[in-house]
Amino acid sequence: MTLVNRLGGVICRLKSLILGTAGTVFLASCGRNAPQDTFQPKGPNAQKIDTLQKPVFAVAGIIGVIVAVAVVYSMVKFRDRGQPIPKQSHGNPALEITLTIIPALILAVVGVFTFRTVFDLNKTSDTQMIINVTGQQWWWEYDYPANNEYGITQPIITSGQLVIPVGTKVMLRETSRDVIHSYWIPALNGKRDAVPGRITTNRIEADEPGIYAGQCTEFCGLSHANMRMEAVALSKEDFAKWVANQLKPYAAPAESTLAKEGETVFLNQCTRCHQVNGLTRADGTPVIAAPDENVWSGAAPNLSHLMSRNTFAGAMFNLVTPECRTDVWKSESVTFGAKYLAGVDEPCLNQTDLRGWLRNAPAMKPMYANPALLAATGGKYRGMPNLGLSESDIEKLVAYLLTLK
Amino acid sequence: MAIIERPVSLEVQPLIVVAPATPSSAMGAVKRPVVTKGWRQWVFTVDHKKIGIMYMVTAMFFFLVGGLEAVAIRLQLALPNGKILNADLYNQMFTMHATTMVFLFVMPMAAGFANYFIPLQIGARDVAFPRINAFGFWALLFGGLFINLSWFLGGAADGGWFMYAPNSGPIFSPSHGVDFWALGLQITGIASLTGAINLIVTILNMRAPGMKLMRMPIFTWMILVVQFLLAFAVPVITVALFLLSFQRNFGATFFDVAAGADPLLWQHLFWIFGHPEVYILILPSFGIISEVLPVFSRKPLFGYPFVVFSGAAIGFVGWGVWAHHMFATGLGPISVAVFSISTMAIAVPTGVKIVNWTLTLWGGKLWFTTAMKFSIGLIVLFTIGGLSGVTHSVAPSDTQQTDTYYVVAHFHYVLFGGAVLGLFSGFYYWWPKMFGKMLNEKLGSWNFWLMIIGMNLTFGPMHILGLQGQPRRMYQWTENRAGEGLFNFGFWNLVSSIGSLVLTVGVLVFLINVFITARNGKVAPLDPWGARSLEWMTSNPPKEHNFDSIPTVKHLDEFFHRKYAEDTSGQMQQVATAEEVLKQLEDNADAHIHMPSPSYWPIIIAFGLPVTAIGVIYSVPVAIFGGIIILMSAFAWALEPSTAPDTDFDPPTSSDTSKDVVHVG
Repeated sequence: MTLVNRLGGVICRLKSLILGTAGTVFLASCGRNAPQDTFQPKGPNAQKIDTLQKPVFAVAGIIGVIVAVAVVYSMVKFRDRGQPIPKQSHGNPALEITLTIIPALILAVVGVFTFRTVFDLNKTSDTQMIINVTGQQWWWEYDYPANNEYGITQPIITSGQLVIPVGTKVMLRETSRDVIHSYWIPALNGKRDAVPGRITTNRIEADEPGIYAGQCTEFCGLSHANMRMEAVALSKEDFAKWVANQLKPYAAPAESTLAKEGETVFLNQCTRCHQVNGLTRADGTPVIAAPDENVWSGAAPNLSHLMSRNTFAGAMFNLVTPECRTDVWKSESVTFGAKYLAGVDEPCLNQTDLRGWLRNAPAMKPMYANPALLAATGGKYRGMPNLGLSESDIEKLVAYLLTLK
Repeated sequence: MAIIERPVSLEVQPLIVVAPATPSSAMGAVKRPVVTKGWRQWVFTVDHKKIGIMYMVTAMFFFLVGGLEAVAIRLQLALPNGKILNADLYNQMFTMHATTMVFLFVMPMAAGFANYFIPLQIGARDVAFPRINAFGFWALLFGGLFINLSWFLGGAADGGWFMYAPNSGPIFSPSHGVDFWALGLQITGIASLTGAINLIVTILNMRAPGMKLMRMPIFTWMILVVQFLLAFAVPVITVALFLLSFQRNFGATFFDVAAGADPLLWQHLFWIFGHPEVYILILPSFGIISEVLPVFSRKPLFGYPFVVFSGAAIGFVGWGVWAHHMFATGLGPISVAVFSISTMAIAVPTGVKIVNWTLTLWGGKLWFTTAMKFSIGLIVLFTIGGLSGVTHSVAPSDTQQTDTYYVVAHFHYVLFGGAVLGLFSGFYYWWPKMFGKMLNEKLGSWNFWLMIIGMNLTFGPMHILGLQGQPRRMYQWTENRAGEGLFNFGFWNLVSSIGSLVLTVGVLVFLINVFITARNGKVAPLDPWGARSLEWMTSNPPKEHNFDSIPTVKHLDEFFHRKYAEDTSGQMQQVATAEEVLKQLEDNADAHIHMPSPSYWPIIIAFGLPVTAIGVIYSVPVAIFGGIIILMSAFAWALEPSTAPDTDFDPPTSSDTSKDVVHVG
């Protein structure tokens, strides 16, 4: 073979090596601030993983380089230069055994540290707060059991953003109402599947206030790609404020406002599935949503205090405009809490996506919401159907939703 | 086919001549097919070489299908919010890409190589059960076509190749795609099982005299390990697929959580099959390059017994690592820790192989043919995949990387950089043996470099994407999560998509090479590579009966040792040419060579399987009809005459007195 070929061989092997192993970590760090980067821990659990995995990646990279260099060296050194046919040696058991024991020893060392970290990460005895996390196609529900220590005097049910206090060992008790999902906030911890019929536990803790992005990572059907999550860490004081807001009683819109008309539309169109705590009918009876009659998973997001969240539709869309979103995400950790707790007001509301969603939700997010194709589920939807709302209804609804602070 | 008999002298004639069974003396009413021309010589053949070629053609067809699916996926993901495929079609696309590549490309391609070369490598004239061999191929083909039929009947399977419950259930996947998938894989599973039993029996019982197990070519060894893996792994997936089919088609509740089922049952069943399956995919290629590297290094495989036993060790330990696919499911720390350690353990025998291949090159006299390039490419690229596999064995780290593109990168380095490069090495190495013509080395070089560059561009960036946090199986990715700077999701996704096009061109060059070689390729010399094993001790392509006389084996690398011997100074000197070795075999040709006759029934039984499967999906009476086809043709199979009489042949070979080979009843 020609020299060019041989040189090409060297270059390609070096390149593939760089792309493949040794340079991976380096190159990954070239793209900054990917919100789901797995090498940027922001809490002690993710930090433990990071401390373990960085040396492993480095050792793997070094071994990869050694193999590649050995191969390339032999390719150059032992190419056919007209030398006689080599001695027909069948091997060298001593060398062989040495080269078996060395990797075994390296792996044994890695194994010991892995073992320790596995048990370390599974520790639950010092948990300070429990949140029930329930996955369903294609959104997460967060259910905070009553916990007087944090001022949670009655359960809080929310969705879209998981709100936690910083420096607190939070245990997520995960399950699912339909298929398997997986909860993953890379900055806080690795993944843990939410399996229907089982409860799995996952500990997270954030060091600093801020928003940490995540994504459902177990394939869960049509809108798997759109099943996102965000964990919001607030200082302990800000968390207490958030709790107080969530527990605030329902405030009906003032009579003869557009929002009041919107409440009527909401009562007629939305409360079959969506709960707003404290909402009553004209005769004063409380409205209890019955999503189990209309949705296969039996749940729809609870919309109480909707405007305290930054996302909707399973965190697929921002409830705030891009400018307002950047303002919150990029703020210093000192000012973050106040900005987040301000919630969504009219200038910041992402009218385009919210109206589009109300107009025809299945057009914006792939779901099984076509009434003609629901034979298998006995007519129950998976996701929000097209309600056929008029533009004036949408106008009223938006006005009403803005009052759900 | 029939019995090939030479005029023989009296002294070698057997004392007792048993009259061969003929239609009149057998119970069967149906004759054996005897046409040796046109399509019928293929459809009814039981010749392991023809079946091997049919396996390879089928696998290559599905490789192109799976490749097109991959390109569609990459085009969709090239830019944020891709619009080429909708979510539903994308889910079908990645499900079928994996299913096709695993079950309909790599497995049958390896089966094709095994079929063609195992009898030749062990000095046999065919496999132990030639009709079952034919049946296995037809079942594979019909199973593969059956799965893909779903594209035209309401949509393909959309649950991922791992088909996790309960997402695979009738509620969550209402089209018939999953039904076609489950039943089609059941059919290809039958093909794999019959093939496995057949090859195990062939390898253990039909080796040439003197070929002890530790003198077997390493490819044969690796295929033997794979067949044992298949024989034990396929039944597990068979059970899982039956549970799934009964749930979907007959209202069973094996994975119905509301009825008390635990969806993790499926995952355990799937991965107890699925992890050995990984080794089923990779070991044949390990075998191929363990043949190719010594030939083009001009020295034996370094540490042959270590390579054999590390292959066997992988085969054993491979059963104890399945739950590393489930580190995120909440198995509990003890299970996670144990499977983490066992996964690290399996890296050791894998590392042994890499060391041995490298040391095979060491001190050799290297000849960089295309086959050699693909093999060396495998060493380097598979090592990258193996090392990223080690990072997965670290369970806490895996909970960050699992279900991201890092995993996609890992197994493509293992399966493309490993399995596929090995298969391509095999094409270039054995093409002259199979077709008597040399694949063009210049186009081969283009083929190699385009594929290597293409694959590194396609799968290399996926490491980075995964570590940056891009999950798998998402029909779109969003700029919101892409990160900042030049080297964000957008950049690497685009590079990867461009790489997939380069890869496609590389594969096209191979097809062009095949086309050009078929039209006016260079006729292959008898021993173009200076090979070492028995399959080269016959003509190119081999005669129907493989060897005129069965060689007696005295060495590992028997062919090499017939050509070369050490002189007094310890230098290897050529003592015979390949032609001389072959002539010696021809001069001592066996008197009676009994070859199996073709049969109608393998293809007909195999056809009954998809008919039954269609019936399971749409209408039970059709399934019963399919069952009747299978049952009746099984009887016909059992009762057909053992050979075809000479008078059935057209033209009767007995009238052709110029040849010394005659077919007799």
